[in-house]
Amino acid sequence: MAGIQQSGIQEDDDLVFRRICSLLEPLNHKRARLTRDLDLVADLEVDSVSVLDLVMDIEDYYDISIPVNTISETKTIGQLVDAIHAIKGQQG
Amino acid sequence: MSLFDKFEKNAALFNELSETGRNPFAVVMERVLGPTRAIIKGRETVLAGTHNYLGQTFEPKAIAAAQKALAEEGTGTTGSRFANGTFAGHKALEAGIAQFLGLEYCLVFSTGYMANLGGIAGLVGAKDAILIDADCHACIYDGCVLSGGETVRFRHNDPESLDRRLERLDPKYEGKLVCIEGMYSMFGDIAPVKEFAEVAHRHGAHLFVDEAHSFGVYGDNGRGVSEADGAMDIIDFYSGTFSKSLAAIGGFVASNHQALESLRFSSRPYMFTASPSPATIASASAALANIKATPALRQRLWTNIGRLHGALTQFGLNLASGPAPVISVLLPDRETAFMAWNFLLENGVYVNMAIPPGTPNATSLLRLSVSAAQTDADLDAITDAYAAMAEAFPGARVAGVS
Repeated sequence: MAGIQQSGIQEDDDLVFRRICSLLEPLNHKRARLTRDLDLVADLEVDSVSVLDLVMDIEDYYDISIPVNTISETKTIGQLVDAIHAIKGQQG
Repeated sequence: MSLFDKFEKNAALFNELSETGRNPFAVVMERVLGPTRAIIKGRETVLAGTHNYLGQTFEPKAIAAAQKALAEEGTGTTGSRFANGTFAGHKALEAGIAQFLGLEYCLVFSTGYMANLGGIAGLVGAKDAILIDADCHACIYDGCVLSGGETVRFRHNDPESLDRRLERLDPKYEGKLVCIEGMYSMFGDIAPVKEFAEVAHRHGAHLFVDEAHSFGVYGDNGRGVSEADGAMDIIDFYSGTFSKSLAAIGGFVASNHQALESLRFSSRPYMFTASPSPATIASASAALANIKATPALRQRLWTNIGRLHGALTQFGLNLASGPAPVISVLLPDRETAFMAWNFLLENGVYVNMAIPPGTPNATSLLRLSVSAAQTDADLDAITDAYAAMAEAFPGARVAGVS
């Protein structure tokens, strides 16, 4: 977790948010401070395929199914976190 | 915000590439000289990035058949398969492909892209789920979107990852279609088709295999990776294209399920576009007959693959996979890929450059496609250019990439 300390995410105790931030860290080439408002593609410049790959990691971690259709509607980290909470609520 | 703002970022990149005078995405074949040579930028260039795997673009029998069809049946069908665009030739080609594959039913589409688009969107509805390999081609993704079905990705070439996803899939979905490719065109790696079929069937799902790059190339009879893996009898749907091994344009979906025939009145990309022209159908049919009668073409291709893959390995280049009709060299970043691509072109060899997001795992690569028509002189030119590239770009070599 040492790597994510500098992102300042310790202020947020949402475990899904923290999980996404730790998965995003290797893709965060600009070393941006990760917040819920950050747009994955526009701000972090993570390409659309990498976002889908990250979602696959989350699916296996939480053992849930996240349809591609759901992902294409999320733009920010916060929206992705909310979508995962909603699916966890239904499937978990 | 305007309608055009979304293009800005990629337009800047595209224009920057164009200003160099060598944009890999705006290459013009000024004059085609044969199956493996063309004039590019005023200069004779060896074509090593055209997916002309069996070298059929100038097959005399295919050209004669196309000329005959053009003279006898006209320039176009002026209609869709669903209305006035089905000629005797379209039906004969469908029967020919079905027989070549040992499958019962076959539908011909106007392009390979549309075969996958129409096959998937035709089979899958809004109440069904599609599970696709993460590295599937754009046309499979587009087919998923058009179908309206729920789409889930599984890890590339990983039947266990598919198994887990089918296991946890909501039982509310009525039907389940699993999509994979025989050979993946970016890295040239092949799928464990049989294993995927077993996992899919265990969960009551159907398996759809896109063999666009492997049709005519793999298997004892050229039926593709499904044949090579002993899975022809257990896969559910098989799609392919005429634009690679058959050197025309068009595509098809084949199956032993009679339900495939229902796509003729329910698949929009089949119903609402003009059918392939008579000349296109005639050349594809003649090329199919020719590759069936001439296994030596496939043998020559594999000889060329062995020679090129061996040479590139010897140069220490960082190759994406084992010997295959596509041989990709992995490069550390887009800039190096662009410079190395240019370097090869300046040395008289055209290959494809592929960069993210068009590639898996944000990889940049140079894709070489092998052809049975490449002569010894072509192969020498290709290996000489790659040897020089390996010297000039340490990042392209295995040690350089670390």
